[in-house]
Amino acid sequence: MTDESKLAPIRKGLLEFLVLKIVGAESMYVPDILRRLAGTEFTTQEGTLYPLLSKLRREDLVQYEWKESDLGPPRKYYRLTDSGRAQLSALDEYWNLINRTIADIGH
Amino acid sequence: MQRISVTVRLNRSALQFDEAAYARLESYLAEAARTLEGNPDQQEILGDLEQAVADQCMRRARPEQGAVTLAELEPALEEIGSVQVPGASTGSDQATRVAARPLQQVSEGAVISGVCQGLARYFGLNVTALRIFAVLLLFISGGGMILVYIALMLLMPYAPLEPGGQPLGWLPSRSRSFMQYLRAKFSVATN
Repeated sequence: MTDESKLAPIRKGLLEFLVLKIVGAESMYVPDILRRLAGTEFTTQEGTLYPLLSKLRREDLVQYEWKESDLGPPRKYYRLTDSGRAQLSALDEYWNLINRTIADIGH
Repeated sequence: MQRISVTVRLNRSALQFDEAAYARLESYLAEAARTLEGNPDQQEILGDLEQAVADQCMRRARPEQGAVTLAELEPALEEIGSVQVPGASTGSDQATRVAARPLQQVSEGAVISGVCQGLARYFGLNVTALRIFAVLLLFISGGGMILVYIALMLLMPYAPLEPGGQPLGWLPSRSRSFMQYLRAKFSVATN
């Protein structure tokens, strides 16, 4: 298991990107975001996601609004802000660039 | 006799917890609060987590049952996971770091020189159990254990003192300075 210790930091660094992508597609509350990530390499938990979302909100990349729910108390729905959207497309572009570099290098 | 159940207000929900579950919840939230120390959103994140606990427990609750017990709370907390601060090292990183702590004598809280504390820290053992084991070995070995202990005192480096840590006892502080004196002499002699 040499790999896991090298892969974990990569996943951790990318989680923020993935969360921006998810809430960029549609506004979502945390259990939906977790379900979206469940079963992928980026499966995560509330204990990780709430602090991350609060950091992203501090950085003005996401914001939330309260929505009533039939099943219980109101829920926080997260979505991207304008600067979050700009950040996401920059990250997308950068990710493509990295992918190309990785594919091209050594050939 | 019935076990006491407590009504707990978790963010926007109120739930009944039995005593054991309440204690477990309290320690989970205290740990989360410690991890989020200094975070400007500490209270808000704790509120989010409380709500997550409430939602999970309600989902798992059995209708005939009055209060949330550990049987529902443990899997709920397992699913929520401990609080991870973004950008900080993860729990598993910390675990590796603790395990990777060098084998050193720990003078703070030591009985003699901190050998047992150092070994316990390095191998992740309970220090009291290790001390009892060492005393047993002392008798079994007919005193040979003393030599082993002295050898370890000489060989194991001393962990740096924690700033603001507890003051050293008389014996640990003497043995620490005596060993350091011996080492200084020895390395002067060999160099």
